[in-house]
Amino acid sequence: MRGLVRRFDSKPALAGVDLGILPGEIHALLGPNGAGKTTLIRVLAGLVDPDAGSVEVSGSVGLVPSGDRTFYLRISGLENLVFFGRLHGLRLRAARARALEALNDVGLSEAARLAVGKYSHGMQKRLSVARALLVDPSVLLVDEATHDLDPEGARQIRALIGELAGRGTAILWTTQRVEEIRDFAHVVSFINRGEVRFTGSVSELIARAPAQRYVVRIRNGHPDIPPRAEVLQQALGSVASVVAGPRGQDDFVLDTGSGAALGPAVAALARGGYELMACRPERAEIEEAFLALTDEAPS
Amino acid sequence: MSATGELAKVPAFVRRDFRIAISYRAGVFGGLLGLAAHALVFSFVGKLVDPARLPEFGGTRVTYMEFATIGIALNMVVVLLLAQVATAIRSEQMLGTLESLLATPTRVGTIQAGSAALAVISIPLRLALFITVLAIIFGLDFHAGGILPSAVLVLAFVPFLWGIGLLAAGAILTFRRGVGALTAGTAALSLVSGAFFPLSVLPAWLQTIANANPLAITIDGLREALIGGSAWASIGSDVIELAPLSIVAMAVGVMAFRLALARERRNGTLGLY
Repeated sequence: MRGLVRRFDSKPALAGVDLGILPGEIHALLGPNGAGKTTLIRVLAGLVDPDAGSVEVSGSVGLVPSGDRTFYLRISGLENLVFFGRLHGLRLRAARARALEALNDVGLSEAARLAVGKYSHGMQKRLSVARALLVDPSVLLVDEATHDLDPEGARQIRALIGELAGRGTAILWTTQRVEEIRDFAHVVSFINRGEVRFTGSVSELIARAPAQRYVVRIRNGHPDIPPRAEVLQQALGSVASVVAGPRGQDDFVLDTGSGAALGPAVAALARGGYELMACRPERAEIEEAFLALTDEAPS
Repeated sequence: MSATGELAKVPAFVRRDFRIAISYRAGVFGGLLGLAAHALVFSFVGKLVDPARLPEFGGTRVTYMEFATIGIALNMVVVLLLAQVATAIRSEQMLGTLESLLATPTRVGTIQAGSAALAVISIPLRLALFITVLAIIFGLDFHAGGILPSAVLVLAFVPFLWGIGLLAAGAILTFRRGVGALTAGTAALSLVSGAFFPLSVLPAWLQTIANANPLAITIDGLREALIGGSAWASIGSDVIELAPLSIVAMAVGVMAFRLALARERRNGTLGLY
């Protein structure tokens, strides 16, 4: 896609988006609420016309929409898929055969004749993927597919999408669950205020905003008397700042400052006779990058 | 996709809507019960009506139930079809299924027509069933030879209804409301239709309006065919009267619906609740 522009009431929802997705690639699209993710998906799906720009797709496009109520709840999953298959131009017999295949692909064969209203959220999402598979799409647009699923349901959907990518389908995956793109997405783009602010690998994204605040557990050799933040600060000197942590006791938040490594702070604590029992970034690395990019001024 | 390809999708909508309809078993039963109650009310009202004030059809003086049955039946069809055509797209918006439909290579016009197709197909069946059941229960005397001419007349009337329905659909799509206005419009159409009472009881100026009301023309034609036994004799003039009204209503309806669609597409709000 090149230079996609879409305005709503003169407010730009997409302000010149350039993006490419290769076959077999899972391309995650991150961005805060109102960033333009869903508008981009709707433009790519042909649901909204762009004001400017162009989209080129080699093959057909499938859509897994974000809403829950995208099926007819009174009729079965199979009947729903047969209906949508026929709208894609398949004859009744072909639509039925394709629907059964797609249901099998997403593990819903046993629930094929059950009314969709009786499906769980996770099953409805899988049915949504099955619907997108009816036409064997070369590009699959997946809009916030896991936002209301439990971790197991979300894992199943990601596994399903991973399989599709393995078969050569290009995937555009929008999400706000930033941590889920780790070990899943091949490429990630960050969009905010209708502009793509970043495109690269997940590790490149993380490198954009290294952690500088850590939640640490520190002991001082006296199990009954936990260390105090003021005393720890004396040991740390100017290497890092420390404040009491969210759980109190031996829990603290250590701030090394922008771009500084954690090592000197750990060494200073050791010299002061303190033991570092546990350490983790206060926020996940991807979340850190997400927030940093969200705060960046528009280009 | 070609027009033939689009037309081939209509049976998919009919199948979908039929399956959804039969999933509401209590709804189907309740609808029949409602109609029966409706007919019963009119049978009692009929006891108050002086048969001498009712018009003659083919030289035959009718009973009030014979007179009202055709009116009730056609009114039922008008209400059902108008609601179905007017709210087809809005219903998909409300259900949340419209974007999924639009994501397929299907024209909005096909979605609109397909969603009303079952209602159109069921019109002759509903009319025949309703009139037959009432004829048996109340011992009404209808001419079997009037059935086919009646079907032709109803077919000439359907485009008028569809056009009005599309006009309402355009308004509902634009304002996201309008079912109330549609109900009021249907009631007004019914008031000057002679469905429940002879047009002769209306004030002269309302009678003038009624004479150009397609619903009144159709009801009168059905009575001539089914009660008066005129068969094909009077249908021709009724169809000639209905045809221009149907064509104009359809043209205006299609134009209004297209304008509303274009506006929604421009604003990017077509799929939105």
